[in-house]
Amino acid sequence: MSDNYDVIVIGAGHNGLVCANILAKKNRKVLICEARDNCGGLLEESITNFVPQIPMSVSSSLGGLPVKYKAKSSIALSESGQHIRLVGNQHIDHKVISGFSSKDADRYVEFHDKMSSFSKALGSFMMASPPRIMNNTFSDYFKLFKLGMNVRMLGKKKFNEFARMIGLNIADELEDNFENTLLQGLIAHDAVLGSNLGPRSPGSLINLLFRMATHDNSIFGGIYEIDGGSKAFVDTLLDISNKNKVEIKTSSSVKRCITENDKAVGVELHNGEKIYAKKIISNADPRSTYFSLLGTENLDTDVKRRIKHHRSKGKVAKLSLSLNKQPEFINCDKDDLESRMVIAPSIDYIEEAFNPSKFDKLSMEPILEMKLKNSDQSNPALDIQVQYASYGAQEGWDNIKDNYVDAVIKLIEKYAPDIQSCIETKAIVTPDDIEKNFHVTGGHWHHGEIQIDQLFMLRPIPGASQYRTHLDGLYMCGAGTHPGGGLTGIPGRNAAQAILEDA
Amino acid sequence: MNRDLRFTALKKTPFHSRTSLASRTNKYYNWNGFTVPTEYSTTELEYTAARNGTSVMDLTPMCKYMINGSDANRFVDYLVTRDLSQMEDNTVAYIIWCNEDGKVMDDGTIFKFSDTKFMLCCAVKIYNWLHDSAEGFDVSCEDATDTTAALAIQGPTSCSTLKNYGADDLELLKPFGMKQYNINGYDVLISRTGFTGDLGYELWTNPANAENMWDSIMEAGKELKIRPFGMHALEMTRIEAGFIQTNTDFMAAEDSLRPVRMRSPYEIGMGWLVHLNKESYFVGKRALKKEKETGNSERCLVGLDIDGDKPAVGSVIYNEKKEDIGIVTAAMWSPTMKRNVALASLKRPYGIKIKENIFAEIYHPEELEYKKIWAKCKVVKRQFFSPERRNKVPADLYE
Ligand SMILES: Cc1cc2nc3c(=O)[nH]c(=O)nc-3n(C[C@H](O)[C@H](O)[C@H](O)COP(=O)(O)OP(=O)(O)OC[C@H]3O[C@@H](n4cnc5c(N)ncnc54)[C@H](O)[C@@H]3O)c2cc1C
Repeated sequence: MSDNYDVIVIGAGHNGLVCANILAKKNRKVLICEARDNCGGLLEESITNFVPQIPMSVSSSLGGLPVKYKAKSSIALSESGQHIRLVGNQHIDHKVISGFSSKDADRYVEFHDKMSSFSKALGSFMMASPPRIMNNTFSDYFKLFKLGMNVRMLGKKKFNEFARMIGLNIADELEDNFENTLLQGLIAHDAVLGSNLGPRSPGSLINLLFRMATHDNSIFGGIYEIDGGSKAFVDTLLDISNKNKVEIKTSSSVKRCITENDKAVGVELHNGEKIYAKKIISNADPRSTYFSLLGTENLDTDVKRRIKHHRSKGKVAKLSLSLNKQPEFINCDKDDLESRMVIAPSIDYIEEAFNPSKFDKLSMEPILEMKLKNSDQSNPALDIQVQYASYGAQEGWDNIKDNYVDAVIKLIEKYAPDIQSCIETKAIVTPDDIEKNFHVTGGHWHHGEIQIDQLFMLRPIPGASQYRTHLDGLYMCGAGTHPGGGLTGIPGRNAAQAILEDA
Repeated sequence: MNRDLRFTALKKTPFHSRTSLASRTNKYYNWNGFTVPTEYSTTELEYTAARNGTSVMDLTPMCKYMINGSDANRFVDYLVTRDLSQMEDNTVAYIIWCNEDGKVMDDGTIFKFSDTKFMLCCAVKIYNWLHDSAEGFDVSCEDATDTTAALAIQGPTSCSTLKNYGADDLELLKPFGMKQYNINGYDVLISRTGFTGDLGYELWTNPANAENMWDSIMEAGKELKIRPFGMHALEMTRIEAGFIQTNTDFMAAEDSLRPVRMRSPYEIGMGWLVHLNKESYFVGKRALKKEKETGNSERCLVGLDIDGDKPAVGSVIYNEKKEDIGIVTAAMWSPTMKRNVALASLKRPYGIKIKENIFAEIYHPEELEYKKIWAKCKVVKRQFFSPERRNKVPADLYE
């Protein structure tokens, strides 16, 4: 057996690309095998809308990442036209909210400060590889200790507050603070976005903190659009890959890891081709990494149990509407239309939308996050994240897809009465489609829920944190690992570090 | 289902009408949810029958699982530490299995009918474990505890007894072999296995056949010193044979609350059952490989030969400096060998490198007062009793 490559990365999602390039920069000979015929994975116009900025720590390990971002404000649409638009600047936002309730405005600043300090305390922990709880090594305990210290350093009062809030649901916290239901709805929307939680589900608050930690520690301040769209981002990553001599094989789906003496030594493609390397890294989700690549016959029973119970049912569908003209959104000016438009008018509305999803059913009044593209050109488009579009919906996606799309459009009609007449084509990607076409089990935003039992050193499962799997030589670098999904590249970078540490 | 546990009676085995008739002492205990005798008459008498005649024990409460399916062979090989890939049809193998940390969950026996059909027998219930382990294998696991009646027929005259019962050519059955019979119109599976370290068999049949089988065997052994025996007598014979018992000699990994109480196979003298060079993966292999490589096993389970004649039940074991180095897990005065023996869990290197100059502190009750004895011990092979007749083929026959 000859090691043709130092490293094979399975999957060319953005995390796989980041990981591959960091390793190539350290003179590793790297091959990426991607199942699809193009690269980027979920980083695609048909999937992602608004993104966080890639953190400095990631772009600097790549020797710079020339991607441009445009900051976006967020607008909570109201049927009455009394929208609330927040830009993520305390002074401006305070003023905007004062227009609805001066009490809320003051409370908002306080609430934001508190959340922001917690998110910062999590911050350094978010960037680093989490400790491995089953290792019992000093450095792992030290990391845990440091997280504890970060939070403790906030002072006793805040520490107690943090401890109180960690398992809390976001609805209680918002209702305690604010009276404006539209504002409550907007914040609650971001707390549940991408997850299988309603605003009244315990743990929805930590979901928001996690989101903030990768979004500039701000609720509405760290939200961006990629200049040139997802394609520009992917192209940049491919340029870098080219420079770093990362080889990429597309349309090359990996069937399984080849093992020798219980160590990963290569991959076998679905077409039978075998390629060998010293280390293998999977950008695939945890379940398919464990059950397909590693193979159930190579797993301990306890590990199988953990993977089987790993929660990864996707809840977000993406609807793309191409338009022949820009629709008239009631009472929206140009800045409003340029914003991230959210339809989630109250906590109760979101909770109602969530209710059927507990039973893997669909609400015909879902919550929406919308992006109007090319508004000044002849070919505008509306990209919509539709939440609580359950994976494996009981109604059967094949039967209900058209009705569901119509329901979403009807919903938008309340805010943009002429939308129907603007639509040229409509295309929806459901979690089931994502599983099939993007090879993400369950089609989940984060390759697995962001909840307290699947976070930090428990992510994706106990014993497999720190980007190492149970199989020697096989690593993970995708959204299923710490700190989760979104366009951050952090899992990719941390995985590369783990591999360099082991070398 | 009766949800009020206060009024849920223990189950009766299909032999209950017979075992209760044979009981002179009315002493029962709860074995796996079944009520079975600890002692029928006197433990000494029952023990003597086991070593000199034929003893009969109701084994029904033992957990039994049927494993069927096209991957059955691969699956059992994955489940246990021993290499079963070359196991022959109609044989039985002694096995242990571990969790992911390489800690022993239980020991038991596996019966192979064919590549697609096995039966697993053990002490601790493991249906969930089997079910979850089977993920990814084409097998089905079924709990057959209630649907299979089982009897142990053990002792020097056991083969003759069973031949009288109708098991033709049984003397030719090799140790750990098994054979399907049809006796008195019922299917009976007979395996040459047992827990007494002597010549002996175990019989597996439909519960509908239980009473007939019991009566016919008692009749067949009438002239061959046959006698039912209970748990206490079995305990004596199994200590002599050096067999370990889960949750007595070591804590089952899933039952111990304290991680430090869990034991690897190397720590309970079962290293010989771990085949790290088995080609395929098995549960716990990674952890066991690491333990073997680093040699960081902490304990061992050994046999002790103890001075004097007072059984060292529950004794703490000390070194010369009176430092605590372990504990006795099972002990007895062996009437057959006239030796004071025990099984003990010791901290290494005691038991492995250091085998002499260790001591048991024995508290011997004498009419409401304890006499404290400081007895010298020697580490010896755990198998105290292993007569030649145990493995002889053809097996000894008596008129
Ligand atoms: C509907 C939806 C909307 C989202 N919207 C946003 C958003 O607006 N903003 C945001 O920041 N984030 C969003 N996300 C999350 C974000 O897109 C993902 O978390 C992120 O892209 C994951 O990147 P990744 O590199 O870890 O994995 P992926 O992008 O999933 O890449 C994994 C790659 O591995 C490949 N692969 C898998 N198995 C194999 C195999 N066996 N052989 C070869 N290749 C294989 C796949 O084909 C894929 O290309 C959204 C997610 C979803 C599902």
